[in-house]
Amino acid sequence: MSRPAPRTAGPSLVRLAAVVMALVAGAALVAGAMLGCADAGAGAGAGAGEAGSSPDEPVTLTVSAASDLTLALDEIGRLYHEQTGVDVTFNYGSSGQLSQQIVAGAPVDLFFSANRRFVQELIDAGVVGEGDTALYAIGRITLWTRADSPFEIEGLTDLTDPQVKRIAIANPDHAPYGVAAREALQSAGLWEELLPRIVMAENVLQALQFADSGNADVAIVARSLSVQGDGAWVLLPEDLHSPLEQTVAVIPGSPLAEEARRFAEFVNGPVGRPVLARYGFGLPAIRGSGADR
Amino acid sequence: MIAEALLLSLKVTAVATVAIVVVGLALGLVMARTRFFGKSVVETLIMIPLVLPPTVVGYYLLVFLGSGGPLVEWFSLEVVFTWHAAAFASFVVGLPLMVQAGKAAIAGVDPTLENAARTLGSSEPGVFFRVTLPLARRGVLAGSVLGGARALGEFGATLMVAGSIPGRTQTMPLLIYDAVQRRDYDTANLLVLVMTGLAFFSLWAVRRLGDS
Repeated sequence: MSRPAPRTAGPSLVRLAAVVMALVAGAALVAGAMLGCADAGAGAGAGAGEAGSSPDEPVTLTVSAASDLTLALDEIGRLYHEQTGVDVTFNYGSSGQLSQQIVAGAPVDLFFSANRRFVQELIDAGVVGEGDTALYAIGRITLWTRADSPFEIEGLTDLTDPQVKRIAIANPDHAPYGVAAREALQSAGLWEELLPRIVMAENVLQALQFADSGNADVAIVARSLSVQGDGAWVLLPEDLHSPLEQTVAVIPGSPLAEEARRFAEFVNGPVGRPVLARYGFGLPAIRGSGADR
Repeated sequence: MIAEALLLSLKVTAVATVAIVVVGLALGLVMARTRFFGKSVVETLIMIPLVLPPTVVGYYLLVFLGSGGPLVEWFSLEVVFTWHAAAFASFVVGLPLMVQAGKAAIAGVDPTLENAARTLGSSEPGVFFRVTLPLARRGVLAGSVLGGARALGEFGATLMVAGSIPGRTQTMPLLIYDAVQRRDYDTANLLVLVMTGLAFFSLWAVRRLGDS
């Protein structure tokens, strides 16, 4: 037992390499088989969004949308499903992040931005054409507090109250509603003073969640997220910020571009527009119905 | 939505775990049984996803997998914003745990026994699968459970390379983040409990493997 293990007879690198190669080959086979099956399955099965365009299969549209649209588009998506049988899956986030994803090749059929700028970036990147876009709504911002908040917030100047410790806004770097919030505070001459108390959320929905959970005292959010909730809110004057010209873009590279165009027209049409209005969006004058060709 | 995320998480975790176990075992074997120039550097590189911020891992993956990266340029494989990218991210962050546990377990197997098998005419794969692996099974199993659990919980890098597209790339951890943003606390509570239960069970299993 005391004899040391005969190291010289131990596995040579060559033998080890053989084992390793066998293992790696096995891994590659397994992975390849699983990926292959999964892809074949996706074509026929539930995740048919990217592959399936045959009319018999249920179509699922993948729509990236600014998070201020969460409530309104969920409702319009349901109405669309009832009328057409087409499923619409929404991927909500800040417009800047969503447009980045689309430029990077995210498999998205339609993009509802909260402003014009991030659609313009898609045009500049050559991902969509001018004719694939349409204005569908004008956004407004509100000052939002919980209904049980101790603060009486009537306007931006009330935010200077030292008791207001945290003010949630969406990150202006990539969220249009954050840009509007910053511009409003700048117009009121309060941005520098309040900056230490600003908490940046990833998007406007998260800004609302920060205030709704009580972790921020007040949030500057979209009117579309305020009107149906149980919070207290005041509308901020629209001349405090540049207009939120919410623009939609059909991604022409998508295999479901035609279906996407129909949904964009639905949102911008006789069914969608009243819903948008109900959530407090301003509506553009009708010029054509939906995405112009 | 919850069922979709659960199924997707299972699919991503299953693929990632298979890859973690196979590649991790191979690397663990090499690390336990060989010496070569720069070994400590290689080992450190394998371990580094454990301590890097998820955003750093995510960024590396985005460069590697994304447009302009080698995968797209050389193999025309577009995986960004697909579940394949999520599986890859899970694989990268789970692998170190498997390598570490596999290396320790294999190093703990007495080479005399392997040599005995060789003198009796066993082939090299035979030695590994019939002697080394059975003797190291506890550590290997513990490593795969830990690696798999880490893969299941992967969030940051996944968000960067796979996005959070419901039904496509939105795994359970991503759905939880999304649900909290939407103030859908019912979904969040449920999924948080599920994930906590899975994590508890994994760690408990690993402890049991180590104890007895």
